[in-house]
Amino acid sequence: MTDAIARTNERNQLFKDLFSGNTPKRVPISNPATQDFAIQYAGLDLAECQWDLTKLEPVYDKFCQDFYTDTYPGGSIRIPSHYQILGSTPIVMSSSGFMQHPDVVGMLAEEYDEFIASPYDCIVETILPRLYTEFNGPPGKVAMALAKAMKAQADDLASLGAIRAKMNAKYGFATMVGALTEAPFDFMSDFLRSFKGISGDVRRYPDKVAAACEAVLPLMIKKGTLPNPSMLGYTFVPLHMAPYLREKDFAALYWPTFKKMVETLAGMGQSVQLFVEQDWMRYIDYLYELPENTIMRFEYGDPKLIKEKLGKKHIISGLYPVTLLQTGTKQQCVDKAKELLDILAPGGRYWWQADKSIIHLDINGPVVENLRAVLDYVHENGTY
Amino acid sequence: MIDLQALTQAVGDLDEKTIITMIEDFVATNPSGEEAQKIVFACQQGMGIVGELFEKNEYYVGDLIFAGELLSKTIDLLKPVLNDVATEKVGSIVIGTVQGDLHDIGKNIFGSMAEAAGFDVYELGVDVSPSAFVEKVKEVKPQIVGMSGVLTLAIDSMKETVKAITEAGLRDSVKIIIGGNPVNEDACKQIGADAFTTNAAEGLKTCQGWVS
Repeated sequence: MTDAIARTNERNQLFKDLFSGNTPKRVPISNPATQDFAIQYAGLDLAECQWDLTKLEPVYDKFCQDFYTDTYPGGSIRIPSHYQILGSTPIVMSSSGFMQHPDVVGMLAEEYDEFIASPYDCIVETILPRLYTEFNGPPGKVAMALAKAMKAQADDLASLGAIRAKMNAKYGFATMVGALTEAPFDFMSDFLRSFKGISGDVRRYPDKVAAACEAVLPLMIKKGTLPNPSMLGYTFVPLHMAPYLREKDFAALYWPTFKKMVETLAGMGQSVQLFVEQDWMRYIDYLYELPENTIMRFEYGDPKLIKEKLGKKHIISGLYPVTLLQTGTKQQCVDKAKELLDILAPGGRYWWQADKSIIHLDINGPVVENLRAVLDYVHENGTY
Repeated sequence: MIDLQALTQAVGDLDEKTIITMIEDFVATNPSGEEAQKIVFACQQGMGIVGELFEKNEYYVGDLIFAGELLSKTIDLLKPVLNDVATEKVGSIVIGTVQGDLHDIGKNIFGSMAEAAGFDVYELGVDVSPSAFVEKVKEVKPQIVGMSGVLTLAIDSMKETVKAITEAGLRDSVKIIIGGNPVNEDACKQIGADAFTTNAAEGLKTCQGWVS
């Protein structure tokens, strides 16, 4: 067995233990820096590289070599090619080259009934043409745009997949699979009604919002199902809107379908990782109700309270503040990692990840040095 | 005659139907511009209540967004009867989401609250370059510059923008406030801003303190 395969086996065991509620040999680590960071770290142009992913092999090689991680780094990646070909409005590139999600309206308030009656038909016939300009026009033109986009996406995914396979073979990362979905209310907000739209809907027609979340739930479950649920891996669910709602709206409109979704996915025997964005501390007792071993990566919150309330049932992650890497000294950054390890590791159920992804590199700033120091510290000292 | 106190309360309660009915009935009486101005003032006071409820954690960001929408709907209804009335402004502020970042929700909430509080708000949009901030500051000479961002890269863009404002010799003429998910005290110091906030109502109070 090569060293890399042995490392993969060892790391897979860490995550198998972690996800099943057993205490792993040490605290597993995921590098929070993304592909965007890696490109800038290699000194290349972010926008240009994303249009030609074949340039990324040396980028990833240096990235994997220089920053300790147990999982393949890079983050969730939005490839620009197919978005551009489809005339995307919900996912676009900014001047810095970073792909982002502006607040868009895919569905009008008066279309709720149509959506509730048949969400899939409404998405295909009404919503996609509104969000993607190239889905408008004569059928032949639309078919051509779709074919081009799918081909571009398949080519790009193949390039990234080949790089990933090479890096796994060389560095021996854990071989985890992933799916991605959203809480029904977040999907309604992020891609259909917009942040602004849903904020009005919650007050104007709460019954329709609730019915729409119920109607779209099966699609969200389907989107979040792993090809083979027993595989090592998880469904990633970035949570968005709950902190911006009053608790009574959260309880009536957000929570019921979200809870059903997580329970259904967990019931199929697969892991679910929630990215608990913004501050959920006032909902911590709700989170406790989610299935055992649900992974919760927190952006904000009191680590002691989180450990106390959730640490015996769920797997805690996140909380390490990446802005400290931009503003702090190396010692301050390492001290923070130690502080979180001391609180969150005892008793197990802790995975080292940061509170946010690192998507940008100021080459004159301290982030590279601080990040390396923190990753190395946790690798060397991450005992439970 | 319209009950101004009831209107203020309806705005505070975000009671859309009551607000719209009251304003429509009022406009139908063909009032003078000065009377309409009193209505605007009552709505501004209602927005003050909304801000207070937000600080008390009874309202959340979604409620602020809805409040902003209601206020602009109200102003639109009043526009035909508001013409020719000179409005007194409490100050002026240039706002924008910094370069590389496309998130505008927090900035829009702050902008509509600042407008409701009587500021002249100059809105630069999203992904705004340091030079676009500098040009606007030169043009309108605001008392305050507000920079917004959600992504961690915004910290670096904010730093660049403050640098550009300083290099243009404009730093001493403006107060700078930064807002958004990644900002904190350390980031504020490093960026060279005068204040930071992750809370639009609190940020507005800071700005009001600067111009009072």
